[in-house]
Amino acid sequence: MNGTMTATGTAAVTAQVALVVAGAPLLAGLMRQVRALMEGRAGPGVIQPWRDLRKLLRKEAITPVGTGPAFRTAPLLLVATTAVVAALVPLASTVTPVSGSADLILVVALLGLGTVALALAGLDTGTAFGGMGASREMTVAALVEPTILLAVFALSIPTGSTNLSAIVSGGIHDPVRLASPAGLLATAALAVAVLAETGRLPVDNPATHLELTMVHEAMVLEYAGPDLALVELGSQMRLTVLLGLLASLSAPWGIATTASPAALALALVLLALKVALLGAALAAAEVFWAKLRLFRVPELLAGSFLLALLAVTASYFLTGE
Amino acid sequence: MTHATTALLLTAPIAVPLATSAAYAASGLRGAKARAGVAALAHRTPRRRGAAAPVATLVLRPGGRTDESVHHGSPTGTRGDGPGTATPAGPGTGSVAPPGPGTGPDGSPRPGPGSVTSAWPGPGPDGSAAPERRGAGSVVPPRSGTGRVGVVPPRPRDAPRVARPEAAGAVPRPLTGRLGLVSPFAILTCGAVLACTVPDDGPVTAYGRLLRADALTVWMLLTVGAVACLACAANPAHLAHERTDLPAARRYHLLIHAFLAAMSAAVLAANLGVLWVAIEATTIVTAFLVGHRRTRASVEAAWKYVVICSAGIALAFLGTVLLYYAARQAGIPEAYALDWQILAARADRLDPSVTRLATGLVVLGFGAKAGLAPLHAWLPDAHSQAPAPVSALMSGVLLSVAFAALLRYKVIADAALGAGFTRTLLAGVALATLALAAALLLAQRDCKRMLAYSSMEHMSLIALGAAVGSPLALSAVLLHMAGHGLAKTVAFCASGHIARLCGTTRIGRIRGLLAHAPCLGTAFAAAVIALLGFPPFGLFASELGLFRAGFLSGPRWAVAAALVLMLIAFAALAARTSRMLLGPPPGEDDEEEPVPLGADAAAPLVAGLAACAALGVTTGPLTALLTEAGEIIGGH
Amino acid sequence: MTDSVYTQLLDLACGAFLLAAVVVLWLRQLSSIVEVFALQGVALAAVAALLGLHEGRPGLLAVAAGVGLLRAGVLPRLMLRALTAGTPRRPYPHYQEDVSETRETRPLVNVAASLLSAALLTLLAYAVSRPLVELHPTPATRALPVGLAVVLIGFFTLVTRRRALAQVVGFLLLDNGITATAFLAASGVPLIVELGVSFDVLLAVLVLQILTTRMRAAFGGTGIDDLRELRD
Repeated sequence: MNGTMTATGTAAVTAQVALVVAGAPLLAGLMRQVRALMEGRAGPGVIQPWRDLRKLLRKEAITPVGTGPAFRTAPLLLVATTAVVAALVPLASTVTPVSGSADLILVVALLGLGTVALALAGLDTGTAFGGMGASREMTVAALVEPTILLAVFALSIPTGSTNLSAIVSGGIHDPVRLASPAGLLATAALAVAVLAETGRLPVDNPATHLELTMVHEAMVLEYAGPDLALVELGSQMRLTVLLGLLASLSAPWGIATTASPAALALALVLLALKVALLGAALAAAEVFWAKLRLFRVPELLAGSFLLALLAVTASYFLTGE
Repeated sequence: MTHATTALLLTAPIAVPLATSAAYAASGLRGAKARAGVAALAHRTPRRRGAAAPVATLVLRPGGRTDESVHHGSPTGTRGDGPGTATPAGPGTGSVAPPGPGTGPDGSPRPGPGSVTSAWPGPGPDGSAAPERRGAGSVVPPRSGTGRVGVVPPRPRDAPRVARPEAAGAVPRPLTGRLGLVSPFAILTCGAVLACTVPDDGPVTAYGRLLRADALTVWMLLTVGAVACLACAANPAHLAHERTDLPAARRYHLLIHAFLAAMSAAVLAANLGVLWVAIEATTIVTAFLVGHRRTRASVEAAWKYVVICSAGIALAFLGTVLLYYAARQAGIPEAYALDWQILAARADRLDPSVTRLATGLVVLGFGAKAGLAPLHAWLPDAHSQAPAPVSALMSGVLLSVAFAALLRYKVIADAALGAGFTRTLLAGVALATLALAAALLLAQRDCKRMLAYSSMEHMSLIALGAAVGSPLALSAVLLHMAGHGLAKTVAFCASGHIARLCGTTRIGRIRGLLAHAPCLGTAFAAAVIALLGFPPFGLFASELGLFRAGFLSGPRWAVAAALVLMLIAFAALAARTSRMLLGPPPGEDDEEEPVPLGADAAAPLVAGLAACAALGVTTGPLTALLTEAGEIIGGH
Repeated sequence: MTDSVYTQLLDLACGAFLLAAVVVLWLRQLSSIVEVFALQGVALAAVAALLGLHEGRPGLLAVAAGVGLLRAGVLPRLMLRALTAGTPRRPYPHYQEDVSETRETRPLVNVAASLLSAALLTLLAYAVSRPLVELHPTPATRALPVGLAVVLIGFFTLVTRRRALAQVVGFLLLDNGITATAFLAASGVPLIVELGVSFDVLLAVLVLQILTTRMRAAFGGTGIDDLRELRD
């Protein structure tokens, strides 16, 4: 019994990571396609990001003169940290061999590590754009990380643990918790934080290379070939994982809480559906949004931080004993 | 005393001013109707370049006397008096003299305002209003106008629209004369009657414990009545020189009396919630009085006043709500949980930490209304911009009424928490206010602002007395409220006359007042001397009592610090005032006649000073009342 | 209505109540601020109605209706009227730079800092209201900090916002907070006091509206920073 449990757990983790890695470019393609359709364009198709990745991977790896190991290791670090997060976070199952380590603080730290690696790479190039992008990214990150921490912390108070698996299974067993003010506020704060962390509108426009506005793109401007492919894949995976986390925390239904393979399969399908739905909704919303001016971004993030804080206070005091 | 009499006595101080206010409002409605008629007629007559010509209408009353009022052609009441209008109005004759074809009273028999006035027994519309009536109605050279502060040198900025101040002053006359004094007298009379009975028979209530009068109430009622009498007596002389048009003057009177009603209600309320409502009502009512002149400065003052006072006093309401919560949790039923007497009696059951929070908020909130730091910023602005009688009322009694509310809460807080908490709080607030007032008095360049800061100084002394908290100190506090009210009223009314005489309120530009206008200068000097705390005025006695009580029982360090700060304020006030009063008159021509102070304007000043001095010599029949009031809020 | 559903709904209403106050700090467009304020009035009425239902007091339901009418209907309408009175009708609907009075362009404390201050004020409210909750812990009194937090946020708005109308909203937030505190702590103050308070608030807003008009006439705008005639 114990053996099968571990086996299913391992399978769940593998399936999660595989789904994220394979699905991330598809999610990006889906979002672009939704956007294109809503704007009245034909769109390149859902698998276009995969084609782009394949094209980039075939190219020769070149690095700019004068860049050091920070520049070279950053894409790998980004992908690696995100993959670890994808393994830790209870996206499809709460009973995995690593679920005991799926601590909130660890997850946020891993995400932060990826961000910092990219920012260092941006600085390493020594170009104006790289430095600018890095500084902007750090400004955003400085406000986003605490927001994510606080928001998930607010959700963790009723459970009494910062373990993400415990939080998610708590949410499955006690759905009222999700509709409490704390739950709603935390979800709202988390949503804003996810938008900022993944560089989506209205914080950053992933489709622009306008020097006045770009944040993420400015950092990775010097990458080419396979490195660029990794960077792209990394950021797509981040989006997928974070959307998945958001889905798990706010609508945890369907996630496997037992070790049965059937439940796992169902959970994987549901996960793909939920993330695809969220992504499509986000893409649809982005059509109607304008990017915020850069100096208004801290306001938005401060607002989401406040929401997270209110969520903490609310869950601590309103329902606290 | 029967139940009905009690109810009457407790209601009259609120109802009579309200009725007066309503009378003014009603006369405004009638006036609007008449104006509409005039406007309709004026439609047919060629109008002169849009300028609304004031139209003198003379209505023949059944009594054969004329009643005259000037209607402005436009309902908006533009102040531009067309030159040469209204001259046909004969001086006090009984003849109807319509000046133009379109100005007849259009047949609608306007019931004379006397019908409103005569509803009150005693003072009729004639009598001593006559000199003013004559001076106002007749179009004679301005100098012969009796009963006002002689000549008004037209201020330069008013030059374009200077017409005959006489005619403009005559505008509100039909209702001003005696009717304005009815409600203060009603308050005073009720206070006096209650003063005879309450010390012996104990507190009385009416309307199911909605209104209640104990010794403190009666004392405050007397103070309000006395100060209101002075201020309302000063109103006609003030308005006559403000060149106020008819609607504005009517609004002024309407608001003044509503203000008096709100203050009486605040004093008489037995329920702490109702007390709060009444005090907030005073803010609302006085907002337009502060902004009466509609200049930039007065609009600014009114805005600050409403915002700071409303927000500050909202904190007091939060405190009241918390107290209510504590009371409900202490098992007091809903109907009585805000009743002051019951709360005070059962205060020992209130939860201390909630009561502490509530008391802090209440001190902050009612402190804002009483001009205590840290929410005092409205006070100098509002007091300097309001018309002088309004400043007098606000400074003289409104601050005290707000502080009396604070005293009520103090009784509850002391019973629930022991005397230490409110003592520390009030002493701190008092010293902060006193330091602020002294510092700003030192640098003051405006006469009315100087008086406003002096009000803050006196309010902080009152707060200090409340901090001391012994019955002796609280009796002194109450005496101080009365004495300060009277003296400050005289000072503000005099400063109003000074401002008109000199065309400015800047201290630097006012020189040689004693030589220039001896009567006015003397009155102002006497009022400031009273405010400085010299005998024989009431403030000397109260300050003496206050400091004695402070050194006997109170926080001696606070009292000592207050003495030092008071000395600074004293020096500043004395130095500024002597600059204004002494020295040669400003004009170059030495043969200029000293400006006399008309009897009409002088009467309230003299009466106020006399009353203040009388309080300093003896409290006479009021001693028992004062002692009992002190024991109500100070004795445990 | 079971107890847990009641608690849940009450918490939701209180959360919306607090959130509206925060959003007021967040927004710049005065008309949106007034709309959010109206939503807050609805949340306040909901709190009162929930308490009335739970305690089975029809009187409280009537009070809730009155509160909703005043704070979500009359007061916002008055403020919007004051706002539109000051906005000149543009002859052409084309875009032009918004220099009118409809935005809170330059608050004393910028928006991000305001939001962080609001976070601190909320924590302060929780700290201060601990004795209140301890006196009688029920679902309603546990939400008391929300009322106090809105009071503090209202005060903060009043102090830092530089448009006349934004200050009025600040004052009304303060008042909403107090009313909410009254409801949560003791199911509302006695009816006569509640009536008096509502009447006073209505009059105060009317007075402020008229003063806004006068301010516009005297200063040509409603910026509080223009008010600098009187100082020592």
